[in-house]
Amino acid sequence: MTALLEIKNLSFGYEGSQSLLFEELDLTVTEGEFILVKGISGSGKSTLLRLICRLNQPTGGSIFFQGQDITTLTPARLRSRIGYVAQIPQMIDASVEENLLLPFSFAVNAEKPRPLKSKLVEMLQSFYLQDIRPDQSAMKLSTGQKQRLAIMRALLQDPLLLLLDEPTSALDQESAAMVFAIMERLNSREGKTLVTVTHSEYKPQTVHPLTLTLAHHKLHAAS
Amino acid sequence: MNRIIDISTGQLLLALLFIVAAQASSFIYHLGLNRDITVGTVRTFAQLFLMGYVLTFILKSSNPWLILTVFLVMVVSAVFIVKGRVKEKQIPYIIPTFLTMLITYFTTALFVSSLVIGITPWWEPRYFIPAGGMVIGNSMSALAISLERLFRELRQERELVEMKLSLGADYREASADIFRKAVSAGMIPSINAMMGVGLVFIPGMMSGQILAGADPLIAIRYQIVVMLMLVGSTAISSVIIMLIVRRRCFGSGDEVLLTPL
Repeated sequence: MTALLEIKNLSFGYEGSQSLLFEELDLTVTEGEFILVKGISGSGKSTLLRLICRLNQPTGGSIFFQGQDITTLTPARLRSRIGYVAQIPQMIDASVEENLLLPFSFAVNAEKPRPLKSKLVEMLQSFYLQDIRPDQSAMKLSTGQKQRLAIMRALLQDPLLLLLDEPTSALDQESAAMVFAIMERLNSREGKTLVTVTHSEYKPQTVHPLTLTLAHHKLHAAS
Repeated sequence: MNRIIDISTGQLLLALLFIVAAQASSFIYHLGLNRDITVGTVRTFAQLFLMGYVLTFILKSSNPWLILTVFLVMVVSAVFIVKGRVKEKQIPYIIPTFLTMLITYFTTALFVSSLVIGITPWWEPRYFIPAGGMVIGNSMSALAISLERLFRELRQERELVEMKLSLGADYREASADIFRKAVSAGMIPSINAMMGVGLVFIPGMMSGQILAGADPLIAIRYQIVVMLMLVGSTAISSVIIMLIVRRRCFGSGDEVLLTPL
């Protein structure tokens, strides 16, 4: 298997902070892999994902995506290949359809085919959002619905790697179960490479993710 | 044309009755403004008398370097006023703001004095200094509004901007709405002034010229030039400065550099 993502000697500390959040951290993610990153609050799990898609800059070390140093790629090009969904889903004040098609309004995705409305409706169903109409306002959805919509929107760009930051932290049990089911399906049936950060007690049903714990500035294989 | 009537010192002091009325209102209704009214009155007298003497000296000058030095001092003062109002510590915006203000305002004042009014030499202080002063004063307020808005909205909407970035937007696309809102917020007062001029208010410069005995039909021509000059210079300087400053709000990976205060 080829390495899709390679992190070498990564260190990061917030500006003005004396100590580093992590130091000489290494991680290799191969195509089709599902990695679950666990760790206590403040251990830097979310920051790790943000560094991969360059929403933060590392203090040291390198990150390679498909063998290329990510700093040599234009940020927009990198982010059109890596889907990142933040902990709190963000929507623009527009319809569900406009939110889903938002990535296609950016220059980097101009060449990509825009999904048809019928495909969106079909996808909404597979994301347990069958009651949602594409023309209704996205702002009025529940957090759980927004979270699934945000994952769906990231996937519409057909990214090679999907990063999910605590996708269930703000959700009730039922919504969280739906998100976990979607994650598992994406990996097992569609072969998506996933890195998910979570501190919840998630027990995978149909997949066997590699579980790592972020502690003491480094990633460790979970016992 | 009538000559302007001089105001004697006694008459000037008579106008202080207005201040007595203001002080009385504050005293009777406990507005707590007595001290500020006193300080404001003293400063009005002191600053304007000082300016009067400086202007008398400058207007008689035939040294272009002195005129340019005065212009430079005006721009530097404006930058400090903008800095005082914006209060941004994280993003270095002072140098680009100063340079853009200097170049844009100089070009505008030069264009108006040498081409529109057609005065020679172009630095004739009676035209160049007031034109420069009006341009600087007006654009300074617009810039302060736009910059403050840009920084505030980028901080408040950081998560939304990052969502767009993570979906493939570059920093321009991710901040397009904020940029547009910030620039137009600064521009609106100048545009509104064009809408209301002559109907709602008589602009200061025109009133001054009419009081000084100028033909109102000449005064309006000057005023039209001034209004157009203000809108144009404000738009150009705001857009250039905001483009530069917005770039500085993002890092080399197009990441948002502004952190919550």
